[in-house]
Amino acid sequence: MSPRPPTLRENRRYLLVRIEPAGMVIDQKELYYAVSDAVTSLWGDVTAGAITQAVVAAESGYVIVRCLRGTEKELAVALSTVTACRDVRLTLRIVAASGTIEGLRKRIRALKPATEPFLEPVAGSVVTGGAETSELVFAGKIYLVLCCNGQKVDVIEKGFKNTHRLFLTRCDMEKS
Amino acid sequence: MKITDAAVFPYPCGDTSVGRLAIEAKTLGFDSLVAIDTPAGSFDGVEILCGIILPAASVRDIITRVKRSKDSATVISVLARDNGFNRAAIGLKGVHILRGLQTADKNAFDHVTAKMAADNGVAIDIDLSALIAGRGIARQRAIQRYRDIMTFERRFEFPLTLSTYARSYLDLRAVREITGLGSLFGMDIPDVEKALGTGGLLTAPSVPSVRVIA
Repeated sequence: MSPRPPTLRENRRYLLVRIEPAGMVIDQKELYYAVSDAVTSLWGDVTAGAITQAVVAAESGYVIVRCLRGTEKELAVALSTVTACRDVRLTLRIVAASGTIEGLRKRIRALKPATEPFLEPVAGSVVTGGAETSELVFAGKIYLVLCCNGQKVDVIEKGFKNTHRLFLTRCDMEKS
Repeated sequence: MKITDAAVFPYPCGDTSVGRLAIEAKTLGFDSLVAIDTPAGSFDGVEILCGIILPAASVRDIITRVKRSKDSATVISVLARDNGFNRAAIGLKGVHILRGLQTADKNAFDHVTAKMAADNGVAIDIDLSALIAGRGIARQRAIQRYRDIMTFERRFEFPLTLSTYARSYLDLRAVREITGLGSLFGMDIPDVEKALGTGGLLTAPSVPSVRVIA
């Protein structure tokens, strides 16, 4: 099938979406199904068919979601109802909208990468396994520091089952 | 006017500390949060208001618990039940918010209750988590109830509050997203702004409607 000439193509809009929590590795296809499920559940098949949403790119903690021009608002509302992808809790924060993917790629380059978890020394933590992981005690339990970003510290309970991820601040670490 | 999320559940109820919730809420456009069962304070310029939710027990229980925390600057909420209970709860001095109408009886909130809420300045809460995390019939029912509440709100002008019931910072939503969710049940931008601004005014001393100036 030959591609349509530009004048016959549908106009599309692209939404730049940040995935939270930082450091999540998400399969693009899985996210597509999560978004599609959210859109269909909220707006029904007819509107979902009109929105024609698709996850076109997933890079460095950001996702680009495509929709038909004029349906950005419906897609944005549906994106705010996405709470998980394959039982992994996440949230999608809309950063920008553009008529071209390239415009959003420029925006991603200008923004700080969201998925690069980096470890900074956290008060009360003990560095283990070289400089790669650090442990700390919070509320009587041992936690591994997953990533720090300014005041924000994400930790996960040490162990192999029933581990919980906590979202704390440096002040919380200092108090514990 | 302070943009307020009227119910969040910080650690240990949720997985996010109150400080972290405040930081994230600030980036999402909030000025204050009503944190349930958490002491009041201020983090990163975001005011944390202490809130309690009283379960829908007997009215006598509610009266006792309201009396106990009446003098503090705590935002007192009551979970809705049947119509009679809701009327009694709204009539109590010291109750700030009536919550959970989306799961209460169908006739739990009628025009009489709406008028009483307007007269007593008791806010009716809209739980956005029912729209965000709910699916299918539960969400449809919530939308239906909120539409009903909005109809009464236009007629009687009682205060409304908006809550995300966030147990994690992942459950928080930006003001723009809340506006989008509000549009699902006929809440326009001025309504959302007004409702988000109500949370911060609940514990402020009430200004008498008639003032003697001379």
